[in-house]
Amino acid sequence: MAALQLLVNGVALGAAYALVALGFVLVLNATSAVNFAQGDLVMAGGLLAVAAAPLIPLPGIVLLPVVLVLMAALGLLLALAAYLPLRRRPPVSVFISTIAVGIILQNGAAILFGPEPRAAPPLFGDDTLHIAGLAVPEQSLAIVAVAGLLIGAQQWVFARTQLGRRLRATAQDPEMARACGVPVTAMILVTFAIGAACAGAAGLLLANRYFVTPTSGGDLILKAYIAVTVGGWGSVPGAVVGALLIALFEVGVSSVLSYPAALGALYLTLLAILVLRPQGLFGEAVRRRG
Amino acid sequence: MGERHSPAETVALIAGALALLVYALAFASPYGLRILTVAGVYALATFGFQIVFGLGGALSLAQGAFFGVGAYVTGILGSRFGLGFEVTFPLSMLVPLLLALPVGLAVLRLESHYFALATLGIAQVLHLLAVNLPELTGGSNGLAGVPAAVLFGWAVPRGLPMAGLVWGLVALGGLIGWRLAGGRLGRSLTMLRDDPLAAATLGLDVGRLRLIAFGISALFAGAAGALAVHTQRVVSPEVLEFPVMVSILTIAIVGGRGQMAGAVLGAVLLLHLPEWFRFLERGYLVVYGVALLATVVLAPDGLTGLLDRIAARLFSRRPRASVEAKEPPRPQNSPDGLAVDDLRKSFGGVRAVDGVSLELRPGSITGLIGPNGSGKSTVINLLSGLERPDAGRVRLGGRDVTGTRADRLARAGLARSFQAAVLPNGAGVLEAVAAARLAVDPDARTAEAHARWALDRLGAGDLAGKGCDGLPAALRRRVELARSLVRRPAVLLLDEPAAGLTDGEKAELAALLRELAQEGVAILLVEHDMGFLLPLAGRVLCLDRGRVIYDGPAGGVRRDPAVAAAYLGRAVPA
Repeated sequence: MAALQLLVNGVALGAAYALVALGFVLVLNATSAVNFAQGDLVMAGGLLAVAAAPLIPLPGIVLLPVVLVLMAALGLLLALAAYLPLRRRPPVSVFISTIAVGIILQNGAAILFGPEPRAAPPLFGDDTLHIAGLAVPEQSLAIVAVAGLLIGAQQWVFARTQLGRRLRATAQDPEMARACGVPVTAMILVTFAIGAACAGAAGLLLANRYFVTPTSGGDLILKAYIAVTVGGWGSVPGAVVGALLIALFEVGVSSVLSYPAALGALYLTLLAILVLRPQGLFGEAVRRRG
Repeated sequence: MGERHSPAETVALIAGALALLVYALAFASPYGLRILTVAGVYALATFGFQIVFGLGGALSLAQGAFFGVGAYVTGILGSRFGLGFEVTFPLSMLVPLLLALPVGLAVLRLESHYFALATLGIAQVLHLLAVNLPELTGGSNGLAGVPAAVLFGWAVPRGLPMAGLVWGLVALGGLIGWRLAGGRLGRSLTMLRDDPLAAATLGLDVGRLRLIAFGISALFAGAAGALAVHTQRVVSPEVLEFPVMVSILTIAIVGGRGQMAGAVLGAVLLLHLPEWFRFLERGYLVVYGVALLATVVLAPDGLTGLLDRIAARLFSRRPRASVEAKEPPRPQNSPDGLAVDDLRKSFGGVRAVDGVSLELRPGSITGLIGPNGSGKSTVINLLSGLERPDAGRVRLGGRDVTGTRADRLARAGLARSFQAAVLPNGAGVLEAVAAARLAVDPDARTAEAHARWALDRLGAGDLAGKGCDGLPAALRRRVELARSLVRRPAVLLLDEPAAGLTDGEKAELAALLRELAQEGVAILLVEHDMGFLLPLAGRVLCLDRGRVIYDGPAGGVRRDPAVAAAYLGRAVPA
């Protein structure tokens, strides 16, 4: 029974992590650039929800579209300031420019909100449901449902729409896509917007049960990174599975030992994976572009 | 980088040092001195970062963590065990080094972003340990009562003496860093930063060099951490938090990547910057973020890069002293030729190389021809160690070298050229050719003398003072050939060396290759130009879809029906 309880908590956490990792891997595939600000974007989404909550005194689910739109705009800004000017430079330039954006977001948030942990309103309600002896918080179910819907919507857009085909073409081979008339720059901007919106949604989902502080982005980018590494660098389903695995690991180890021990074990596992299987547990999806 | 300083640079350095000295002695308040001291501490930490990241291109996010480890070593040993500076300072450097080596061994061959991730993970683990091991580290409160640094029985007080100690070590560390950057290590590191594949084919051991750079970075960071604790007299988990890393990264980029002077300039500037933005309180790092972003986008060479450009406008560059040419010695016991037996390599389901056997004897020129996509370049990549064969055996001078790494093969006497000449951007021609000797010569100066010899031999001595950027294709090829030649290889693999050359240049190249063969070099020549190849080669192999379809004297190629079919696309009768 305890194990089932942990499973429920782990899946809820993993659903939110999956959104973070998804946004990260989409940008990675479209640009081969590592967006180091992804964790801080999650934090920004959470704090946006915190700030908007008093203005819109309705359940969190109503805040979701607001957060999605604002975060998409922030993603566009990020691409314009930190990616597009550097696209012809070595990849490490973008790595550093997104670190810079992360620093700006993190410390900007500290100035605006102070260092205290904040909580966003729950998506629907704060009640706990009792299903067959399991105590399931409503929020956990809501997180899984909302994250599942968003990931499903993203998959649908990528698989079934003209926009999605163009986005995939851009991710696969930007030169070829451009030659076929795909507006590659616009597609990259859209990808950054989607990536940031995913991060923002994750921020809103996480900021109720796990609180949000200006510095919470640091751990999240590491977890997104680990999820993508575990799932196979560049693989979208791999990133989602990796995120779920990480969350289950974290919840499981925390329950036996402690959260810091879980985090430490996670990083050590990551180092072991990098040494033993740098291609990820499921194989690497993208090879380096020349 | 790597050059001896020009008089203008020396004047600027001395003027800068004097200005700092005058400020410290005459104008700085106690608070101002403290900031200056901390700036020195950060400059020292950044020296190490300039070597691993600025020169080596490995984005280590553990530099802040090594700083913190150095700080804790001094803090714990000083406040708990009452050990003195002469023990704690060396240990503060040693412990980060001992941490860096196993980690570096594990991850340094991975791609850059994985290295960044792994080092960030280590930093997080160390921070967790510092907070969660209160018996050792004092937990989140840290340890107070760290003693002052004691030098020869004299406890260095805060203020001017401490600033003097720190800046004395900055001067020493900067000098060491500058010597390293300009010498063999620094040049090898920039070489592998700009093009790891080319670096490996020139015999540079990428993993080993990065490990050395990572180790050096840890030494510098540990020293800086120790001094930080002697300045603050307390140590807390703050020294392991991300802002330390952010500061070091920002200082290095804003000051100028890879430049020791940039580390000092960046540290002095950025440590004073928050004083002008005090209303931001703890959010002052916003300013660092903006400075970092603006520098990366607008001035990627940082402040020292800008100053360099201004200086270049004001003073005409002194032409570099010309280098005396010197013939590089032939390596002893060079291997006698290369033999390949039944080599196979598939990519996905495609058999790129399917059972190729060949022998390159000393003094012979062997031609390798075949239509585009027939596997010629893959054969060269397999022989030079850039790809590992799936099956088959490669013997270099009788020694089995199947699957050996590119840099080992290169050091064993194998050289190769690339189809598109790869030369480092922004480097001079002499420097680029000298880079090919870095793995063998004792120092950069000898390597340049040898490089000059190779350029002279190719009739390209007048290129020595030029830059690689903007050289026409034919000259780029010649420079690349010089890079192979200068290493006195026993086996030389050339990938379409005649492409884009005029008839006169082809004749010169042919004469040179004959000369090399007479000296005993075994040459493999991949070529499309039959008019160039056939008179030169004793033996020719033709590949089609990874298989050898012709192997025999050069004269027979034109009459061979299978070769004609492969080129013209007719079906070969079974």
